[in-house]
Amino acid sequence: MPDRSFRYPLRWHVMDALERGADILWPATFSRMTGWLLAAPAILLVGLLVLGLIQIGDASMHVLDTSTFRMSEAYTLANYADAFTSAVYFKVAWRSLLAAALTTALTLAFAFPYAYAMVRTRSATVRKALLIALFLPFFIGQVVRAYGWLIILGNNGIVNDMLGVVGVEPIRLLFNFPAVIFGLVQYMLPFGVLMLAPALTAIPEETEIAAGSLGASWPRAIWHVILPMARPGLIGAGIVVFTLSLTDFAMPAILGGGSQDFIANAIYDQFFRTADQGLGSALALMLVALGSLIVGAVFTLFGAGTLALGARK
Amino acid sequence: MSTAEAVRTDTASTATTAVSVDGVDMDFGTGTLAVRDASFTLETGRFLTILGPSGSGKTTLLRLIAGFQTPTRGEIRIHGQRISAKPPHKRSIGMVFQRLALFPHMTAAENVAFPLKMRRHDPATTPDKVDAYLRLVRLDGLGDRRIHELSGGQQQRVAIARALVFEPDLLLLDEPLAALDRKLREEMQLEFRRIQKELGVTTINVTHDQREALVVSDEIIVMDHGEIQQAARPSEMYRNPANAFVANFIGVTSFLDGRFDGGALDVGGVSCAGTPVSKLDPGSPARGAIRAEQVRLGAPGTTLEACDTQLDGVVDDVIFEGERLVYVVTVPALGDAALRIYHHDPAAQDLYGAGAAVRVGWTEADLRIFKKTGEPA
Repeated sequence: MPDRSFRYPLRWHVMDALERGADILWPATFSRMTGWLLAAPAILLVGLLVLGLIQIGDASMHVLDTSTFRMSEAYTLANYADAFTSAVYFKVAWRSLLAAALTTALTLAFAFPYAYAMVRTRSATVRKALLIALFLPFFIGQVVRAYGWLIILGNNGIVNDMLGVVGVEPIRLLFNFPAVIFGLVQYMLPFGVLMLAPALTAIPEETEIAAGSLGASWPRAIWHVILPMARPGLIGAGIVVFTLSLTDFAMPAILGGGSQDFIANAIYDQFFRTADQGLGSALALMLVALGSLIVGAVFTLFGAGTLALGARK
Repeated sequence: MSTAEAVRTDTASTATTAVSVDGVDMDFGTGTLAVRDASFTLETGRFLTILGPSGSGKTTLLRLIAGFQTPTRGEIRIHGQRISAKPPHKRSIGMVFQRLALFPHMTAAENVAFPLKMRRHDPATTPDKVDAYLRLVRLDGLGDRRIHELSGGQQQRVAIARALVFEPDLLLLDEPLAALDRKLREEMQLEFRRIQKELGVTTINVTHDQREALVVSDEIIVMDHGEIQQAARPSEMYRNPANAFVANFIGVTSFLDGRFDGGALDVGGVSCAGTPVSKLDPGSPARGAIRAEQVRLGAPGTTLEACDTQLDGVVDDVIFEGERLVYVVTVPALGDAALRIYHHDPAAQDLYGAGAAVRVGWTEADLRIFKKTGEPA
């Protein structure tokens, strides 16, 4: 044979070997079932979730007998009645909803310019710096970050120290509602930016230049063209930030200092403080229902294109 | 600066000059200039096409005229005013973009109304104007359609209406037809021509399609390697290309390499009658160019009428193009040079088959002799 200079790349050989293996494990006669195979991880995941929900559903229909600390045998809806009529839980639910809505609005307001700058910058260095600044907080867990805020915003923290230099008395910056919102927005910002960036990338720069050439100043181009075209991304990011905030535990617990409980904190208390599994389960299911209802309403209003699924070109 | 001074007086004296480009360089820092020393003026109401292969700098030049980028050197003025004097949204330039850049969340009519709203035109006249321009581009009754509900050609029409509705001083077309199939492209070329004539708006079009340039334009500028090769009217450009590049880029042209002998082109000892285009020193390397429709073809041994040069050749290939045949004939006397020759009578396509001996010839006026540059054609 003459010297052959062409060789198949290693990747092709690896794929050949994988295909031979796959032929043994999943013969061609099974090919009609391949779709189910691909869906298997999803089915497993959702299936386990459903099993868990059934268990919790069952637990939610037994009340705690405070004399024996055992769950009652009989099925009852008393836990739900308690939760619905309790002023405390109403306040907690309202606080969670308000905080989630505020956090979503503020996060999107900050995430949009961040994502826009990241997508549109001409400098590769700036883009990298923005990306690193975005991912760095991911490596620092939520609890550590919240603790960091305790140090910065505490009565003897950096902020109050600096205020002291200019002669301002220490201000209580922690353990109130704004502190929780502040922590949540800071925690959610990377999620918002990462959800918005692909939506903004999908809008050609030419479209923005076109708006300018047609007479739109830059703010008008953003308002009339970029924001409406980025709507699927904004709604997708909004859903993620809203649901994560609504169900958040650490920020209200640490930055709220027990005075700013969210639903998740109330559930924790029932499970691990008063050991009332029944009431805890009822609250948990109500949280699931609340979240699903809101997400469902958004999907109904704006369509499934909101998560860039089935979006038109 | 004396050149800037000269331009200022020049633009002041000629009131009908719509666009003046003066000594413009554009350097992206890649080592070669994207545009080098480009200068031209365009009168009001004229349709200019900047033609060139990809990478020739034609799109860069258009973007400089649009004011999206600032030239490294030189000046661009529109109706005497420097383009950089105003921010983009205050300039009176309508542009049709390569990928149209229509707003998908608006209807066709909303797209057309957008520049009127942005430029604060009288809201009372907006509906009439939108209707009038939709009618101009023949989209009457389709104003309520969303962009994705329109065909490719209809989307083109929306983009044109949107770029023209605010009555800009200048219309720029950034290869908007490049992505269309041939039939639709040719239809839209005629539409551009019709609309431009109807409104009389000064227009600059960019394309790599020589046919489009010839069909739509009043004037053509051919660019290559960032430099303007020739600026002329279409018929002038076709009949009198200034150099071998232009001759090759517009029309189907065959080339013969040799030396200029003072009167004709000498190809390996065979004298080929031709007309020198540029000033040539006797004995210098030269390149002859001849159009496919200008080479005469006859049976071997016959005398071709009125031909100053006649040679024997062999048919190498016959290409059927529908409305015509293209013979590729090699001429042994010219070092097996290949000549492409049109034959407009496809019914007689068996006139000469591959391998047939033929006689080819041309007149002195047909073969144009250019100075030979290092450039392979």
